[in-house]
Amino acid sequence: MTNKVIENLYYTKSDEWLKVEDAIGTVGITDYAQDQLGDIVYLEKIEKGKKLKQDETLTTIESVKAVSDIKTPVTGEVTEVNIKVIEDASIINKKPYGEGWIVKINIDNKDELKNLMNDKEYSEYRKE
Amino acid sequence: MRYIPNTEEQKKEMLKEIGVSSFDDLIKEGVPQSIRLKGNLNIPEAISETELEEKIYNIAQKNSNFYLMKPLIGAGAYRHYIPEAEKFLLQREEFWTCYTPYQPELSQGTLQSIFEYQSYISRLIKMDAVIPSIYDGASATAEAALMSLRLTHKNKIIVSNLLHPHYRETVKTYLAPHEPEIIELPYKNGLVDIEKLKILIEEDVASVIIQNPNFFGGIEKLAEISEIVHSKGALLIMVIAESISLGILKAPGDIGADIVTGNAQSFGMDLNYGGPYNAYLATKKEYIRQLPGRIIGETTDVDGKRVFVMTLRAREQDIRREKATSNICTNHNLNVIAADIFLSLIGTEGLYQISLLNTKSAHYLENLLLKSKKFEKIFNYPFYNEFLLKSKEDISTINKKLLENNFIPPLKICEFYKEENLKNVLLFAVTEVLSRDNLNKVAKILSE
Amino acid sequence: MKLIFEKSVKGRDGYSLPQDLFDDIKIEECLPEYAISKDKKILSEVSEVDVVRHFTKLSKLNYGLDDGFYPLGSCTMKYNPKINEKLASLNNFTYAHPLAPEETVQGSLEIIYDLNKLLCEITGMDEYTMAPAAGAHGELTGNLIMRKYFVDRGDKRHKMLIPDSAHGTNPASAAMADFQVVEVKSNERGTVDLTELAKLMDEDTVGLMLTNPNTVGLYDEGIKDIEKIVHHKGGLLYYDGANLNASLGIIRPGDAGFDVVHLNLHKTFSTPHGGGGPGAGVIGVKKDLIPYLPTPIVAFDSTNKKYYLLDVGSKSIGMVRAFWANFPVLVKTYVWILSMGPDGLYNASETSIINANYVLAKLKKYYKPAYDRYCGHECTVTGKEYKKYGVKTLDISKRLMDYGMHPPTIYFPHFEPYAEETIMVEPPESESKEMLDKFIEIMIKISNEAKTNPELLTTAPHNTPIRRTNDLVAAKRPILTYDDELKLKDELKYQDKNIDF
Repeated sequence: MTNKVIENLYYTKSDEWLKVEDAIGTVGITDYAQDQLGDIVYLEKIEKGKKLKQDETLTTIESVKAVSDIKTPVTGEVTEVNIKVIEDASIINKKPYGEGWIVKINIDNKDELKNLMNDKEYSEYRKE
Repeated sequence: MRYIPNTEEQKKEMLKEIGVSSFDDLIKEGVPQSIRLKGNLNIPEAISETELEEKIYNIAQKNSNFYLMKPLIGAGAYRHYIPEAEKFLLQREEFWTCYTPYQPELSQGTLQSIFEYQSYISRLIKMDAVIPSIYDGASATAEAALMSLRLTHKNKIIVSNLLHPHYRETVKTYLAPHEPEIIELPYKNGLVDIEKLKILIEEDVASVIIQNPNFFGGIEKLAEISEIVHSKGALLIMVIAESISLGILKAPGDIGADIVTGNAQSFGMDLNYGGPYNAYLATKKEYIRQLPGRIIGETTDVDGKRVFVMTLRAREQDIRREKATSNICTNHNLNVIAADIFLSLIGTEGLYQISLLNTKSAHYLENLLLKSKKFEKIFNYPFYNEFLLKSKEDISTINKKLLENNFIPPLKICEFYKEENLKNVLLFAVTEVLSRDNLNKVAKILSE
Repeated sequence: MKLIFEKSVKGRDGYSLPQDLFDDIKIEECLPEYAISKDKKILSEVSEVDVVRHFTKLSKLNYGLDDGFYPLGSCTMKYNPKINEKLASLNNFTYAHPLAPEETVQGSLEIIYDLNKLLCEITGMDEYTMAPAAGAHGELTGNLIMRKYFVDRGDKRHKMLIPDSAHGTNPASAAMADFQVVEVKSNERGTVDLTELAKLMDEDTVGLMLTNPNTVGLYDEGIKDIEKIVHHKGGLLYYDGANLNASLGIIRPGDAGFDVVHLNLHKTFSTPHGGGGPGAGVIGVKKDLIPYLPTPIVAFDSTNKKYYLLDVGSKSIGMVRAFWANFPVLVKTYVWILSMGPDGLYNASETSIINANYVLAKLKKYYKPAYDRYCGHECTVTGKEYKKYGVKTLDISKRLMDYGMHPPTIYFPHFEPYAEETIMVEPPESESKEMLDKFIEIMIKISNEAKTNPELLTTAPHNTPIRRTNDLVAAKRPILTYDDELKLKDELKYQDKNIDF
């Protein structure tokens, strides 16, 4: 696998990443996910304050020839939305782990982190 | 068989190359003997082209000679003159026999024509984005209603009962699985009851569907309606059944419509006993991701040439599957090309003049019939090219007389509306195919 | 090429208006001020000559079926007979108003009625509705019929099983009927996995939507077991008729136990595609489902010897469109069936199946089939071995255009073993052995080019009116009308469009 995977992040089987800082989780999609989608053209608006359960659909992301759901890695409330990627979703193609983050979530229950993968497990999971 | 070039000899040769001894051998695995059809299909033996032609001509003779029969009926299907140049061009096999333009390198003709049509419609209705081809006005209105549910996340719709009755039925059919609340907005004196709308409109209403001109031909007070609809955050869906009216009437986008659907049959399509027609579905920029169906956009090719492609594709069924905005795939594309050619021929001035003429000649006929004293007005409302009149004579007798004189009679409105005061009322429609002589004759027949 | 708007000259016209414009009547006396548009709506101003040249030129940028081979898989691009067109355009048909009195349209009604009987016999069903305008419209109608059938029985089924190989319209249509779509995985032979099906088919499930042969051209040989599994749990079987061209006179969906069938008359029954319709997606049902058909259907009153439109009644799902049918498509279908007869229909399916297997046999050394078995009327192979040369299936298909052929269906389905490099070839009965040999020769030539000169493919096509398009820009900054283009005039840098008048 040639796509980048970053240490100290949590990963989902549906290719989201989660960075945990205290009770706040930052969510984005992985380098692998953006590569599979190809040129991203659109990210559906997300409302601040939206409450979601682990694995529920947060939003949908659209490329020229594909579309995919982005799921929340943990249960919680959306506290911040990255306006920049809503305005220009192609940032996700360029910097999926940095500027291309999508939302911040107030994590309800840290026990759920158990259901996620670490970087090594994720690399193994997406190994061709 | 003239449509199947391969000879029996060639088929044998090919079976040999495949490595089987017979056709049965080839399919025995996929189609178990137990489910194979025993014997032949019980349908008539093939007939030659000459016999076929005679047979179908004979069946066609069982219809009236419709070319000579001028319609006094519209009700969602209007006979307009179709220039011969359109019919001639449309039959070019490159338009007629090609597939959906998935390969832009081999389909710029279709793609550019659709783009031109989107541009025409956008100017006529003043909307940003036009889906060029839903099957017809009824299905497009149903799609618009579904779109409004998705946009607002609400589940209640108000529908004018002067929306074409078949459109109303279709909306109900399409929406039934979602179990929405559908409220019929009654009419008053030939137009929707605005006072009633004020009472019915609430925060939980997704959209209000209004046809203009309405089913009785009446011209609604859209600016006022729009204000009421928007005051509670609902969307206004405007439906056009007779698109030629756009030549003279205000553009829906200028009077507050959020979604517009229009039956484009009047733009150069034959009546064809009900189809294929075509409808456009249009909206504002901010709602384009919720549009159903195909849309064409402009871009460049690798050489920097301006070209046209299908775009905003991720909404569609082949990519999004069960989450698509609609299941529509094959649509009425050839009718779009017909309409593009029609609008190009008729042009700015032609559309304006025909629209004007249809209004004036309808009023001319209404006036003649009122003068005959055999008819009376039941409502007083401004109308475009269709109007209601109550007859003093039995309408079945009247319609019989008209038929005998080569006119397709007007619609008996009681077939759709059961109100007591609509008994013995006719809905007349007039287009440019009825000359002054024709209209005088109609008036004469009906005043005798 | 210039747009019609760029050819517009003020004051020019292309339409002949009637002499009498009723100038004696004043428009202000007819319409209130609030209704009338202040400005004239601007279309274009061109002469009839301009229009004829414009559209003739546009047409030449298209590739039609009469131009050559069109092997699109699951699209059945077969020859569209010319007599069909003539007979569908007789004045007595084309000028018939849908609400004209029944006594004036007996001929039109007779055709609908007779065609219904013929289609029932061909597919083994009991009654058809001609209303649906296209395949997906038929699927929606079929799903609504099944939904209403169960609702009437107080049965709250809400799941619909759909094979992973199904066309995208299947799940999209089921979703419009508010069914939850459950995907059924294919087995190692590329067809429905019976164990999986038995596991998924429960009493919350409406039934199964199946294409047979399926969308990769493989017959579901387990059809009898599939039928038992679905019916045993009280479900209904839906037949997607996109691939009926492999079944005429060979197997009837009705006999195989299907309860609802849709037919794409613009595929199997020879009517033209028109660049994306109009077609027709008529729906056939078994007896128990007749009361749920959309209203109205055409019936015959044997006492008075009259055809008429019959209201289906209170159980009907209602109307699915404004009027009755895409009538000319029905006439063309009717004419085609009568010109083929039972032997002709069988011959059509037999020939198309032999054609597909012949192409498969000749190509499989160069493009690997996903499953080692005979196919129905279309064959599916993959181009994945050319990936190592930097060549995708897309490049192979674009290169075909340089040789004057339309590409086959590609990239569908996406899952293994196709590895996203699917090539699906459907050579209908109207293609001769010589045409297939030519196609095979070109495909082999392209496979060699892929190895020796991949750039020839990745930059293809070279000989078409335009070359590869920038779809990203189109989606990112949508220009959907000529007025959108005008707004961006200074930003857009086109190769001089005035050269190409």
